[in-house]
Amino acid sequence: MTIHRVIRKVQRFQGWFGGGAALCLMAGLYLGLIGSPPDYYQGEVVRIMYIHVPLAHTALLAYIVLTIGSLWYLWKRDPIVDNMCQAVAGLSAVFTALALGTGMIWGKPTWDTWWTWDARLTSFTVLLLILIGYLMLRTFVDDPEKEARYGAILAIVGFVDLPIIHFSVEWWRTLHQPQSISMRGVSISSGLLVPLLFMSVGMSLLFSYMLMVRTQLLYLDRLLHAKKGRLLSQFHLSKSDS
Amino acid sequence: MTSFNVIRWIVWKDFVTELRSRETISSMVFFALIVILIFSFSFSMDQQAAREVIAGIMWVAFAFTGIIGLGKSFSTELQNDCLEALQMVPEAKGAIYLGKVAANFAFMFLVEILLFPMFVILFNLEVVEEISLLLLIFLLATVGLSAIGTLFSALTVQIRAREVMLPILLLPLVVPVMIAAVEATKGALNGDPLALYEQWLELLAVYDVVFTVVSFWMFDFVMDS
Repeated sequence: MTIHRVIRKVQRFQGWFGGGAALCLMAGLYLGLIGSPPDYYQGEVVRIMYIHVPLAHTALLAYIVLTIGSLWYLWKRDPIVDNMCQAVAGLSAVFTALALGTGMIWGKPTWDTWWTWDARLTSFTVLLLILIGYLMLRTFVDDPEKEARYGAILAIVGFVDLPIIHFSVEWWRTLHQPQSISMRGVSISSGLLVPLLFMSVGMSLLFSYMLMVRTQLLYLDRLLHAKKGRLLSQFHLSKSDS
Repeated sequence: MTSFNVIRWIVWKDFVTELRSRETISSMVFFALIVILIFSFSFSMDQQAAREVIAGIMWVAFAFTGIIGLGKSFSTELQNDCLEALQMVPEAKGAIYLGKVAANFAFMFLVEILLFPMFVILFNLEVVEEISLLLLIFLLATVGLSAIGTLFSALTVQIRAREVMLPILLLPLVVPVMIAAVEATKGALNGDPLALYEQWLELLAVYDVVFTVVSFWMFDFVMDS
């Protein structure tokens, strides 16, 4: 089981990921909230970008990790890879929901509306729906092996679908009305880019750290269930013997 | 038995079952009629307003009835352990998938053909010129819906709460089909030049090819046990 050895090796650096995430996020937050100048057009409001954009990037990164993990699971059928998939799906859903939430908060002062059927908003909503469907699907399957297999299938089909969803929604919006509101108003200068970079790296590290902890937790949970099952059957056997 | 024969026998079996029980198609048609009825209560429409929303209503009705048909496609196989029998077919699992897609496509398309005159009559549509184009749109969109729907019908059949999970999993994934079908149908009903909505037909064709291939591949993993 080579993957187990790799995971154990990576787990040893778990603390470094957590610490690195904390450092990067603190530096990014300081630079973003205090160190950087307010935007020429948006003023202080632009500072939510330092949270929103890294969250959205990390959500997409998480979905890519989920797809790779699902393909790996269907190929090797290794339960620990499935634990990783389950962990990453939950995290991806959280990051997607937070990206949508911060996007709405940002949209209120800049676009003067909480919600618009903008292409990116819509495709992120569909992504969130797919992830919630994934998590629901997993709770409705009794057999753990089947649960892992079905989840992997859904994740892969969803991954193939996402670009098509994005393009179709984009065409749909641009055909109906020219995109009156766009994010291109924000010009990225170096003063904005540095804190953004720190936050993006920090958020990815935070995601990796959470992923490791959660995978470990799910793995131990599975071991515990197996052990409980063994103990129970031993108990019943010893009772029927006497 | 070659794979082609497996496909043929599955389509034949589904048709014979349907002819004898008359469950799927009749429930799909009546459900769609109720959907149309409720929509006509919800919006009071003159002919002008109907043109704007009719494509959307039509595809909501088609998608919901399609989900009824898709759900039945594999849940009927649960009786007498027919699903296990299907899994024991020595040919490639993909043949079962293609057979089921063909049967589901046929049922959905038939129901759409039956329902379309209802829409024409109830909402006073004029469709004499675009009828072949509309058929092409129905065909492309229904292939897409049945290609991905059959995969998820097989996937949800063995889990708890399958009636709920099929639409929850399926509808977000068919967002491109719904958008493209509604836009293309709207264009055709308004009598717009084809160039304006040609891209939606292309999108539907791409979706059909991509998801027939992906679902065909993934179906092996659904069925193996």
